[in-house]
Order: sequence, then structure tokens, then C-alpha cells
Amino acid sequence: MHNLRFHLPYSVVSLCFGAVAVLLVAYIGLIAVVMSYATLTVEFSQSVRNDESAVAVLEGRYLAGVLHITNIDYSAEGYAKPVAKEFVRAESATALR
Amino acid sequence: MRAQFLSRIRIILVCIILAALLISIRLYFIQIVHGEEYTLKADRQFASGGSGLFDRGSVYFTRKDGTLISAATLATGFLVAINPQTIQDPEAAYAAIAASSDTMLSHEAFLAATLKKNQVYIEVSHRLSDDKGKTLAAQDIPGVQVLRERWRQYPGDTLAAQSIGIVSYGSGDTLAGRTGLEATYDGTLGRSGDSLYKNFFAELFSNVGNLLVTARDAREGDIVTTIEPEVQTRLQDDLVKLNRRYSSRESGGIIMDPSTGAILALAKYPAYDANDLQDITGALLGNPLVEHVHEFGSIMKPLTMTAALDAGVVMPNTTYNDTGCITVNTARICNWDSKARGVIPIKQIIMQSLNVGAAWLATELGQDKFRTYFTKLFGQKTGIDLPNESGALLGNLSKPQQIGYDTAAFGQGIAVTPVQMMRALGAIANGGVMVKPHLVRAVRLNSGIERELDWSETVPVFSAAAARETTEMMTALVDEKLENGKAIIPTMSVAAKTGTAQLTTPGGSYYTDRFFHSFVGFFPSYSPRFIILLYTNDPQGVTYASETLDATFLDLVHFLIDYYEVPPDRGLPAQVGAATTP
Repeated sequence: MHNLRFHLPYSVVSLCFGAVAVLLVAYIGLIAVVMSYATLTVEFSQSVRNDESAVAVLEGRYLAGVLHITNIDYSAEGYAKPVAKEFVRAESATALR
Repeated sequence: MRAQFLSRIRIILVCIILAALLISIRLYFIQIVHGEEYTLKADRQFASGGSGLFDRGSVYFTRKDGTLISAATLATGFLVAINPQTIQDPEAAYAAIAASSDTMLSHEAFLAATLKKNQVYIEVSHRLSDDKGKTLAAQDIPGVQVLRERWRQYPGDTLAAQSIGIVSYGSGDTLAGRTGLEATYDGTLGRSGDSLYKNFFAELFSNVGNLLVTARDAREGDIVTTIEPEVQTRLQDDLVKLNRRYSSRESGGIIMDPSTGAILALAKYPAYDANDLQDITGALLGNPLVEHVHEFGSIMKPLTMTAALDAGVVMPNTTYNDTGCITVNTARICNWDSKARGVIPIKQIIMQSLNVGAAWLATELGQDKFRTYFTKLFGQKTGIDLPNESGALLGNLSKPQQIGYDTAAFGQGIAVTPVQMMRALGAIANGGVMVKPHLVRAVRLNSGIERELDWSETVPVFSAAAARETTEMMTALVDEKLENGKAIIPTMSVAAKTGTAQLTTPGGSYYTDRFFHSFVGFFPSYSPRFIILLYTNDPQGVTYASETLDATFLDLVHFLIDYYEVPPDRGLPAQVGAATTP
């Protein structure tokens, strides 16, 4: 019978140490990635909310503008109602008739 | 050779372990030793992932071109809190905070708060703008924390406030929609957790399925209303002018697409500013257009007429003998002027608003048929997406006395909500079919998908022919009677009817000098794009709705024609020509 024992180039203990070290670094790296991702997510979501808030301010101005225009008393501004109205057919907006 | 290899491996291992140790020590200092400091710093810079920061979906108006405009959204800013245990100079802290805030506690209250040494967190000011909050935070005052805050903001202030609703704490400690669409769609608008802050890897390891598709993502989102902001503004403005002019108790109005039930504007005066609820009573927060019932008066006559035509008991050219007054079950029913018209076509019942004629139609129709039609029109709630909808009061139609049917024929003795009335009259404009009135057309889910809501349920009530015949009568009223014929629009057919009802006394009888005015109209008459319902409750110094509401109605008609560029449906020759009106 031949001896079939397999000879490793280094000890099993060293291999285990190496594996543990690699796993540890990978774990820590993963934590770092997760934390960075969470930070970016929070930052992004807050930035979205801030932008929405800024847009809402602009929309508020638009709605206030609509209200202002609606409230204008044209007779007080010097305009008078027309004596007669003429309803005519709208012309085509293009040159193609 | 082997020894050299092993030593290199060991050196690399040592380096890796050292690096791991260094990172671990660094993490220990960041997370354990200085953890609290970093948490505070993060809170000051960004929103924390905790549940303390208010989050909620948006509500949008839809402009005529499809552009979405925020009706309810979130504003972001800062709140200021103090820690009485660590605050060093209360006077200096008060001065610094007061300089940045408009909603600061009084000086005495602030100093009293700083004396509560058994507490570590007392909020002293809210809703600081971004700039002011950051400026205050930069001063780094001991014992003063400047923290992120979000709150509900309504960019339109009073615009559609009663339809949009409010968010408040109510009786619990949770902010939730309490009235209007905020309440109806609270399940969609509310945010049950930190969906924006979810930890991707934690979710990946714990529940892959939930990461990809969650029940929350399929439910939570923003809502898109059918309310057109400029139309809503116009309606509100007109109602303010109307109410002030006649010192009414209240006025209201609805503008709807009669073919779909999409409500473009729904308003009531008095209204309130949704951003300032400090002096608002509970009664003002409700929506009377769905919660309150009224006796509407003569705008009920077109429904009676259409029912009679649909049942075949009368034809458009049928005549009847109008005696001016009749007695039914010992009660006396008279025309508005008590004058007899003699034998006239039934068209005049609509055009001259004749109570005796409406009562005659009810008698011709018979109690069973009358009850069947009116139960179909008003027996069910409309199903509008607003909370606390009331049902109609139709008790008189379950009694055998004919007087109950005769008075119901001209809108007295039965009471319905404005939205119910709008839905029923919409059937005349929509070929005899009732649609479901609604304010929200779609939900925009967090996943980005826009889900259109299904409002296609309809209730056929009248034949299209009967609806058209009544429409012709209502159009003739506008062309010949309204403002003595001056209201006619040569290029646009408009159908309308006025209504004046006597208000009930607390004892159950009727006032002789207090009225409820209503007005309904739609256009173009034979292919309507808009139906308008207006009312004003207890106007002073006027008797008839034609005096109070016609100007408001016509203003809205002309505005809508211009704003939506509604093409003419009559009055212009085929090729060229013009129509003139004085």
C-alpha cells in the first residue's frame, strides 16, 4: 500500500488565521459600505425634501399670483366693459389653409 | 524556500490583523466614545432616520394642461430645544433664539423652562427657516439644540382648504389626516415607517422579498386631484364677493365634468387658511357640500320634468291648465307670483319656474313612479371621496299624502346635499346617466407607478331623449328669460335653472322672508363639458335666486369658455360670419 497522505505547503493553523483575517476585513468593509450607503440615503432623502419644500414655495407664489390676477378689479384700473361683443371664427394658426 | 514563503505569509497576516485592529479601534471611538456627539451632529445636518421626523405624501392639483401643482406638501426647517441641565446663560440663549424665530416662547416662559432642571429636552421654538436654523446652529450655544423639523404645508393657503383637509393630532399622539382628502386617503398619504432610510444590506440579509416589493410601496404614495387651481381660485373669489354682497350665512359651489364626475372646483365660504388653524372652529373644518342637506327649491323641477318625460306621462308638447294656486291635502301650493297662466305647454314650467306645473307633473307621474325616480336619484350616497357624507332626507316620499310629492317636485320637503344635487342634475347633462363625483383621479405610488382610480361606475336614470328635451327647456330659459334675455351667448348654448326655497324654522314650518338660493347650469347644452352648481344660504335683502346667483353663474361660464377655449356650438355660419350681442 502506498501512503496517500496529502502534504500542504503551509500549516492548517496558518490557513485558518488567514481566512479569519480576510473575513474580518471583509466584515468591517461591509459595515463601512453599509454606513456610507445609509448616510448617502439620508442625505439624498433630506435633499429631496428640501427641494420639494423649495418648489412648494414657488408654487405658493404661483397660486398667490393667480389669486392676485383673479382679484383685480378691471373697472377700477380704468378698463370699461365693451359696448358690444362680436364673435368671429378663429383663424387658423398656420399658413396652411 | 518554504521558510521564506511562510514568513511572508505571516507578515501579510500581521499587517491585515493590524489594519483590522486599527479600523476596529477607530469604529469604537466613533460609535461608542463619541457616538452621542455624532448623532447630534447628524441630526443638525440631516434628517434622522428615526420616526420623530414627520413624513407624509403630497396632494396635487392638476392644471388644465396636466401640470401638477402642490396642494399639500411638506416644509422643512428647524426646531429649537433646550437642555435645562446644560444651558449656561439663559438670557443670552433667549436673545439668540428670539432673533432667529417668529414663534418663540415668551421671555418669562423661556426662563421658567430653563429652571426645570429635572428635564433634558424642552422645545421652545418651531418652524425656523433653513437659513435661520443653520445660523443659530452655527453659534453652538451650550444647552441649545437646533434640530431638523418637517411640517404640513398648504401652498394655496385657503385654496380648496375644505376639500384638501387638514392633518392634526386629534385625540391621540399621532399626526394623521382628520378632514377632507387628508382623511379619506390617510392610508395612502401616511408613512408608516422609515421607508426612505431603510438599510439596504440589512433588508438584503433579513428579507429579500420585502426589499423588492413591499406592501407599503404598493399602498403609500401621493394623490393627484382633479381640482384645477385657477378654476378653484375663480370659484372661491366669486363666492367671497357673492357672500359679502348679500351678507349670506354661507355660500358654496361645485364645478364638475358631467361625463366623468371629475370635480374641477368645490368651494364654500366662509373658508379657512389651512396653514393657520389657531382660531378655527370645528364647524368650519367640515365640508358642508357633502355633510349638510338643504331644500334646494326649483332646481329640482328639471328632475321632475325629466322623470315625467322619461316615464311617458307627458310629451314635450303636452299642455296643462295653470290656475296659479292649488290646494292639496288642505295645504295650498302657489306659483311664485300666485298668478294663473291658463293652458300652457309644459316647457313653461321650467322657463317660468311654475310650482303648480311641477305639482301637476308629480300628480301625473303618480306616487310610485315619483318615489322610484327620486330614490334612484337621491336614495344612495354619492360615494364621493370625502369623509362624513350625509344621506338625503326623503321621508315625505314614504308617506301616502300627495302634498309630500307635490312639494318635492319643486324642491321643498325633501333635503339633499349639494353634491347629491349636482350628481342628480348631472344626469340631465350626461344623457340621463348619473356618474360618481370624485376629487382624486390617481395615486402616485412610491414605486413611481401612477395608478388611475376607477370612477367609471354609472347609474342610468333617464333616457337620453328625456334628458335632451329638458335640456332644450333649460337652454330656452337662458336664451329668453335669464336677465330678460340679455344673458344669451350667441355662440354658446347654455342650459340653466334657478331655485329659491323657503328656509325652515326651528319648529318645522317655513319662514316667509328667509330663503335658500340655488342655481344650476351646464354648457355647451348638448355636449356639456362643465356643470356648475351654486347656492347661497339666507341672503339678505333679496328674494329670488335670479337676483343673487345669475351674475356669479355667468361670470363662471364666461371664464370657463375663455380659460378652456371652448369652441362655439352655435351662432356662426359654416364658413365666415359673426354674431353680435349687446
